[in-house]
Amino acid sequence: MPHPDRPAPAPDAGRGLARAAEGPDLSVSLGRLRLPNPILVASGTFGYGREMAGLVDLRRLGGVIPKTITPHPRRGNAPWRTVETAAGLLNSIGLDNDGVEAFVAHQLPWLVDCGAPVVVSLAGATAAEFVTLAARLDGLAGIAALELNISCPNVSHGVDLGTDPEACRVVVAGVRAATRLPVLAKLTPNVTDIVAIARAARDGGADGVSLINTLQGMAIDWRRRRPLLGNVVGGLSGPAIKPVALRCVHQVRRAVGLPIVGVGGIMTIDDVMEFLVAGASAVQVGTASFADPTASVRLLDALPAAVAELGAGSVADVVGTLALPAAASGCPAPVAAAPSPVSEAPPHAR
Amino acid sequence: MASDALAGRSLPYPCYADAARVERVPIVAHRRVGERTHRLRLACPTIASGCVPGQFAMLRIPGRVDPLLARPLAIYDTYLAPDDTDPRGDRGQRPFVDFLYLVHGKFTTALADVPAGAELEIWGPLGNGFRDLPSVDHLALVAGGIGQTALLAVGRAALTRGASRVTLCWGARHGAYLADADDFRRAGIDVHLATLDGSAGLRGTVIDLLDRVFAPPGGANDAAAPGHVVCCGPEPMMAAVARWSAGRGTPCTVSLEAPMACGIGICFTCVAPIRDASGAWDYRRTCVEGPVFDAANVVWPEATVWPETTSTGSQHG
Ligand SMILES: Cc1cc2nc3c(=O)[nH]c(=O)nc-3n(C[C@H](O)[C@H](O)[C@H](O)COP(=O)(O)OP(=O)(O)OC[C@H]3O[C@@H](n4cnc5c(N)ncnc54)[C@H](O)[C@@H]3O)c2cc1C
Ligand SMILES: Cc1cc2nc3c(=O)[nH]c(=O)nc-3n(C[C@H](O)[C@H](O)[C@H](O)COP(=O)(O)O)c2cc1C
Ligand code: FES
Repeated sequence: MPHPDRPAPAPDAGRGLARAAEGPDLSVSLGRLRLPNPILVASGTFGYGREMAGLVDLRRLGGVIPKTITPHPRRGNAPWRTVETAAGLLNSIGLDNDGVEAFVAHQLPWLVDCGAPVVVSLAGATAAEFVTLAARLDGLAGIAALELNISCPNVSHGVDLGTDPEACRVVVAGVRAATRLPVLAKLTPNVTDIVAIARAARDGGADGVSLINTLQGMAIDWRRRRPLLGNVVGGLSGPAIKPVALRCVHQVRRAVGLPIVGVGGIMTIDDVMEFLVAGASAVQVGTASFADPTASVRLLDALPAAVAELGAGSVADVVGTLALPAAASGCPAPVAAAPSPVSEAPPHAR
Repeated sequence: MASDALAGRSLPYPCYADAARVERVPIVAHRRVGERTHRLRLACPTIASGCVPGQFAMLRIPGRVDPLLARPLAIYDTYLAPDDTDPRGDRGQRPFVDFLYLVHGKFTTALADVPAGAELEIWGPLGNGFRDLPSVDHLALVAGGIGQTALLAVGRAALTRGASRVTLCWGARHGAYLADADDFRRAGIDVHLATLDGSAGLRGTVIDLLDRVFAPPGGANDAAAPGHVVCCGPEPMMAAVARWSAGRGTPCTVSLEAPMACGIGICFTCVAPIRDASGAWDYRRTCVEGPVFDAANVVWPEATVWPETTSTGSQHG
């Protein structure tokens, strides 16, 4: 239903159309982080990048986020580690990884040459571990940014840092002080008020937030009276969670002046556009890469036409253009400090 | 096991998926061949002409979000039987790849209704396959449930490479599940069957069958002993076959059937506990470092009850 207060086309819409002929400008900025396009691949759903080299031209991606690394090797959780649910996937991988040193020695050299910006995802059990990891990676060439996974539902402590605003602020501030790299905080939706956590990330000095990690869930085999996941509970991803992710992006966009990377259930170009309109400056493709290994580049192929369809000359012109009904309930009013355009860096990052 | 590719951890995993392609291909033929068992033929020359015995592919019904993910199926056959009348069935070109699947859950139930002419999404060939199998004079293939699908090509390859004998010992719950045993016979493989209910072959498990077919070492029939055992089936059955082989000092190679979400190494779903040279174990992705492993390197679960007694319990009929 069209809203009577839908904003009139921007004065430069004509210019946008003209530019669309030669293709809209796909580049985006999240604070100090500049990306060639807004299509990234999500941590834990793209291996370490190298696995995909034969199937996807990585040079085309807006960014590659390899699987989260921890200070020490972790075997991860016992199988089964994933269970398919209605239009979704439950996982309890448990941050299976070989630790930061193995990553730096064996994965990073290939990654930094892969041609896409590399955003390294980190997780520690404590704020101190996050800081140690960030400091270890700070001097290394070729890393575009860090993403702090303070939201993994599959390890103890992981969620704690992402559900308590003060704990979140402390982690982000510690990392901020330990690195010159742009820092994204990846938040969990398993909280009552995601806006409070996003504010804490902003106050800690984050350059942006990635919204969202998986939603806690479980699956049961009733005949055997057993949980299907080895870890009993896990995190839900895939198309089933897209509405939750969109809501989180929308609320944070309205209430917190911080660039957003949207993630959760993105399968189609329509999904990508919904996240951009809701206020995400970029998106991550996760579970979709399992269902179609080429999903990320397929979405990138479809992006210029979708941006042009809105009469926009650039992806940045689409970000956060959601038209709300006049007296919308259920969404906080935008804070006065909400920056527009969204690419403006938060004061701490300058 | 592809030891060369796994040597050291400088590239800490092999990249067999480098040769894989994502394609949308038509179903050429699709028919029921046994109890809940269907044979699917896809026009897919890239996989048919580029695969190694024991490799698999991921299949998906396009455009659906439920089931959302693809499922792994072993590449059953790329050889077209001489009596195949399809004019495009030129064996030199290997235009088709055949799969054999058991109707089991969401995906296979939906797949059984997809008619010839429709298209499927597929990526492959994937996994290591049996690329490092030693040449032996007598190779034993041991299958449980639908596990025979991984074994036809390796049996045929062994005979081509000069093995004088390949024996298949195949166990199932019921005789009606033993579909397409003639494919193995036509390939020159000796077929021995066992069923739990005695409806076909020996009444008993595949271990009972192995004891019957292969006389104990040192016995009068020692010449019948295989030089190598290759096994695929439900995990508890593979564990039992691994123990049986180890007890006789016969090397055993297994193809694991861990659940998979991507098949290409990006999700860390499909792990199995695998020992390295030092004896320590770690979870390894069976889709990129397997699914084929030396049975001696697999950490088999303790105290598994096999065969399972409930009809709902086993994944494989
Ligand atoms: C390398 C490889 C090759 C394979 N080749 C073949 C083949 O050639 N033919 C064939 O028929 N099958 C094969 N399989 C098995 C097949 O991929 C699975 O049975 C698949 O899950 C079937 O999909 P579905 O949607 O029908 O069942 P699902 O919906 O996936 O499963 C139905 C139920 O079975 C249970 N289940 C699922 N996975 C497992 C598991 N791994 N162990 C125990 N229970 C489980 C769950 O409770 C689930 O609810 C292979 C598997 C692998 C890894
Ligand atoms: C199998 C699997 C593993 C994941 N591993 C990680 C991880 O290591 N680190 C992380 O930050 N997020 C991880 N995630 C979460 C995804 O990055 C993403 O936030 C989530 O899946 C929602 O997006 P999607 O619906 O597009 O998959 C994982 C998700 C899945 C499905
Ligand atoms: S199935 Fe995804 S890593 Fe093996």
